[in-house]
Amino acid sequence: MSENDRRFQDAVLPHLDAAYNLARWLTGNDHDARDVVQDACLRAYRSIGQLRGASARPWLLAIVRNACFSWLRANRPTEVVGSLDDTEGAGSTAREDTSPGPETLALENLDRKVLNDAIAALPAPYREVLILRELEELSYNDIANVTGAPIGTVMSRLSRGRRLLAQSFQVVLAHVESGGRR
Amino acid sequence: MKQEDALNLLQPYVDGELDAATSLEMERYLAGDAIARAQLARLRALSSALRAEADYYVAPGSLRAGILSGTRGAAAPPQGSTRVRSPHWLRSIGIGVAAAAVGSIATMTLLGPTQQDLTEHDIFAAHARATVSDRLLDVASSDQHTVKPWLSARLGFSPPVPDLSGSGFELVGGRIDVVGGQRVAVIVYRRRQHMIDVLVRPARGETPSVRSRDGLNLNHFTQSGMSFWLISDLNSNELGDLARLLVASAGP
Repeated sequence: MSENDRRFQDAVLPHLDAAYNLARWLTGNDHDARDVVQDACLRAYRSIGQLRGASARPWLLAIVRNACFSWLRANRPTEVVGSLDDTEGAGSTAREDTSPGPETLALENLDRKVLNDAIAALPAPYREVLILRELEELSYNDIANVTGAPIGTVMSRLSRGRRLLAQSFQVVLAHVESGGRR
Repeated sequence: MKQEDALNLLQPYVDGELDAATSLEMERYLAGDAIARAQLARLRALSSALRAEADYYVAPGSLRAGILSGTRGAAAPPQGSTRVRSPHWLRSIGIGVAAAAVGSIATMTLLGPTQQDLTEHDIFAAHARATVSDRLLDVASSDQHTVKPWLSARLGFSPPVPDLSGSGFELVGGRIDVVGGQRVAVIVYRRRQHMIDVLVRPARGETPSVRSRDGLNLNHFTQSGMSFWLISDLNSNELGDLARLLVASAGP
């Protein structure tokens, strides 16, 4: 095995699940996720010299993320543009949700499929920061590096993404409580 | 702290992004504001639900195999790319993962136990004993200046006990265990709800390794004349992070 092959495998293989998970959540299906990950791994192999002892996981996820968004711009352009209102900022969270409610307890009974459908329904820029924060447990700093966005934008997208999810659950819960079909 | 500021800080507070001083301020503030506490509870509930119930898609085996074979023969990186500076043991871990991915685990088990395999068996057994007996700590302290001398005084060597709280690994304390008939230092760290045992004893030329067994991850390496075994149910990525921090603090 060549030196570069070894370097590549050390950097990529331990984080291949994280790479595929992000690609699967951003492309929405297995087939395209595989294509994107293959493409990203090729780019990673070609630029392995740039990873100089830095942490491999955010480095690889940045490459995967960019490959995903190239794919999205080509195949699902509406997912990438529009519906972004980063000017709202994290501050808007403070003005809403000031009344304590039953939603906290109801989340425990929330159907797993409902939750996953709600994440999939989020616009891609909100979905990606939530995946990186909750499933990959990256710091705000690492998320900023992976997404190429400033930390302030990362925080406001997290805030808005979380609020959108909570709102969609409230709609589901209200529907269930009123006797509607789940 | 005003309510508006506190509500804006709730998210980074939940995400562990506030510095210690601001966190403390938040805790004090929250004690007196039920609305903020309710909002905090909602944020935490959402985060927990996502972590527990969101699908995590692992790479299909055929994809992993394809990437292993597919990049060989791909265009080589451009000339003049500099060497990746990474410690020797990191390379071994990568090869171990690659070997597992192509299913050569069967080969490894057929080779039979080596001297090192017996030590790893002892380590898993010692960890299981400590877990069952509830005797996880002989000395309970988050102060490295308490734990290190306590261990050094009772062993023939002085294990490194770095303060890694800034990196999210909290020192919990230490104990002495017997592995393979000899006394080893066990330094216990915690990340979130996971306890991590760091077994340390003078090195004997073992090769680095990474193992998983029964939901436990093991990471073994040698640095500065000491051998380290990290054992925990913490995921292997983060266990590797702790290993790197220990290497960095142990020095040359």
